[in-house]
Amino acid sequence: MKIIIERDQLMQSIQNVMKAISPKTTIPILSGIKIEATQEEVKLTGSDSDITIESIIPKEEEGIVYIHDVNPGKVVVQAKFLPDIIRKLPESEVEISSDDDLNLTIRSGKAEFKLNGQDPEEYPQLPVLQTENHFDLQIDLLKTLIRQTNFAVSTSETRPILTGVNFKLENNNLELVATDSHRLASRKIEMDKQEDSISFNNIVIPGKSLTELNKILDDGQETVQVSVSDNQILFKTKYVYFLSRLLDGNYPDTSRLIPDQSKTEVKVNAKELIQTIDRASLLAKDNRNNIVKLVTQENDVLEITSNSPEIGTAEELLQTKSITGEELKISFNAKYMIDALRAIDAEEIKIQFTGAMRPFIIQPVEEEQHILQLITPVRTY
Amino acid sequence: MPAWAELLEKQPVAVRMLQNSIEKSRIAHAYLFHGPRGTGKREASLLFAMRYFCKEETESSEPCKNCSACKRIYSGNHPDVHFIQPDGQSIKKEQIEFLQKEFTYTGLESNQKVYIIEEADKMTGNASNRLLKFLEEPNQQTVAILLTENSSAMINTILSRCQRIQFHSLNEQEQYNRLLQEGIPDSTAHIFTALQLDLGQAMEWKDDPWFAEARKIVLQLVDKVLDSKEEGYLFLHQVWLRQFEGRDQIELGLELLLIWYKDIISYHLDRKDRVILIDQLDRLETYMYRLSIQEAKASIYEILQTKRRLASNVHNTLAMEHLVLQLQR
Repeated sequence: MKIIIERDQLMQSIQNVMKAISPKTTIPILSGIKIEATQEEVKLTGSDSDITIESIIPKEEEGIVYIHDVNPGKVVVQAKFLPDIIRKLPESEVEISSDDDLNLTIRSGKAEFKLNGQDPEEYPQLPVLQTENHFDLQIDLLKTLIRQTNFAVSTSETRPILTGVNFKLENNNLELVATDSHRLASRKIEMDKQEDSISFNNIVIPGKSLTELNKILDDGQETVQVSVSDNQILFKTKYVYFLSRLLDGNYPDTSRLIPDQSKTEVKVNAKELIQTIDRASLLAKDNRNNIVKLVTQENDVLEITSNSPEIGTAEELLQTKSITGEELKISFNAKYMIDALRAIDAEEIKIQFTGAMRPFIIQPVEEEQHILQLITPVRTY
Repeated sequence: MPAWAELLEKQPVAVRMLQNSIEKSRIAHAYLFHGPRGTGKREASLLFAMRYFCKEETESSEPCKNCSACKRIYSGNHPDVHFIQPDGQSIKKEQIEFLQKEFTYTGLESNQKVYIIEEADKMTGNASNRLLKFLEEPNQQTVAILLTENSSAMINTILSRCQRIQFHSLNEQEQYNRLLQEGIPDSTAHIFTALQLDLGQAMEWKDDPWFAEARKIVLQLVDKVLDSKEEGYLFLHQVWLRQFEGRDQIELGLELLLIWYKDIISYHLDRKDRVILIDQLDRLETYMYRLSIQEAKASIYEILQTKRRLASNVHNTLAMEHLVLQLQR
């Protein structure tokens, strides 16, 4: 293999794939970056087996030539030193070549590095995901979807399946659900009509993978192509491919958890509510559960209090837009509430309660159905 | 690369059982390979994993060893085959946690997964109990292979969930003959057989000056402790502890010491054919008069006790001092 390539372009690709490489891996070959050169492009691959990132450098783009000379081939090279080497090379052009014994030579100007490569055949073979089984999403929409659901995944390993976000696609409706069994976040969007509608149900993507995906995607109007297979999901942008393994198991049916009727409904300005709860929870934060109490009063006023016996109490009244239905006293975890309100990101929200011991749901007043946050209350005496 | 055919000679029963379970596609979800060191447990687990992933469609139980899956399992680079080895003294909770996470994910290349836990008896209590959860609720295409030299040290709840496959210790006579063929001197071959070294290790130690020195020092220590005029305690500090430094070396020292006392007992029982140290017959004869069979038995018990103490992290020097004071006549 031999390539002559622009250093800046190469550096950018290396930084992309380095995000997937973990310094402590149990599989020796995964400490390396796979470099694969063909006549049209150079592809770099990095993986920690949970996620895999492929970054593609095209031969030329918009008339700018990135790759000057190619002799096809592939090799795996230690990832630990490569970024520093490439960054500090003297010239803007880099020549990378490897011989049959997997010795790698990096040359730029008068600097020359010789590295020991590894056999590319040893590298994990990624499944070739069928391109027919895919749908398109805008990148900024995908990032919003992740932001609105991913925070609610479980961090405890007792029920591993809950550490992921469930993706469901049916009748051109994409639904994301995440829950840690104390709260639930769900977001639904309608997809553009696509020629052959595909559907899947039990796809659960690890929360950690989505966090990484969120980091690697640039904001923008471009689209990302999502393909799904039995054990992997692929997010494909023009030059970066992001693969993640899925979680194994059946995601619980969450639709039954969401109450379909309500006894008390409160409409309130979201920003004011966040600030009020944030203040009330100041004293409760030390407490393990971070509990605040909410009581409805006359004239559409909410009383929000917190009480920690060793420190003191906080109390605040909040004027709402409207309170309808039964009177209510309820306690819940302030952090869950703040997370949920932030994720909704609407000016005015409504909260529907069905009694002090039942979970309640939070939705924006406008565009109903699309985003829904559910929180289970805490029993207090 | 190993092959079933080679292993079949050494382990006819175990290999036959494994081959049958593969050929008749009746693979259990968890196996426990137990048997002494150097009996081919690791080779068998590798072959098993290779066959499980091998891309060549065959009826036989032999993996092709040529496809990318086989090659990568052999080099430890297959992403869906996990090897767990003790990290220091034991297999830690974190290592099992890593496995646990690995189970909840789908495989990287397919949905088949194999995990091989070496020296499974060294799992900490916490680690064992965490693993148990996965043995209880096995995933369809996941196979666990636990390797151990000491199955009685493992908790019952794990044992009862594995298909146990016994690897018999090698036939001593055969092993001895093989060592002789490799040009190892008679007396050394006896010791190597008693230590159950595999062939590779035996060849390595044959010319190792450290091992020759170790043999000499063990002999001297026995001399000192069996003579009431001598000070075994001083010898321990001046010589022994300098020679045997790491834990493996100390264990080897104790093994060699054990051989001496076993031989004294063989002598007492008039079973000279069982004597291992055949170049030291004169010495053994004199020792026989100094040490009664009961005393030799008590000494063996002390040595085994010391091994156990070392395994539970008693300080090396203290454990050895205690042992020498017990052995000193």
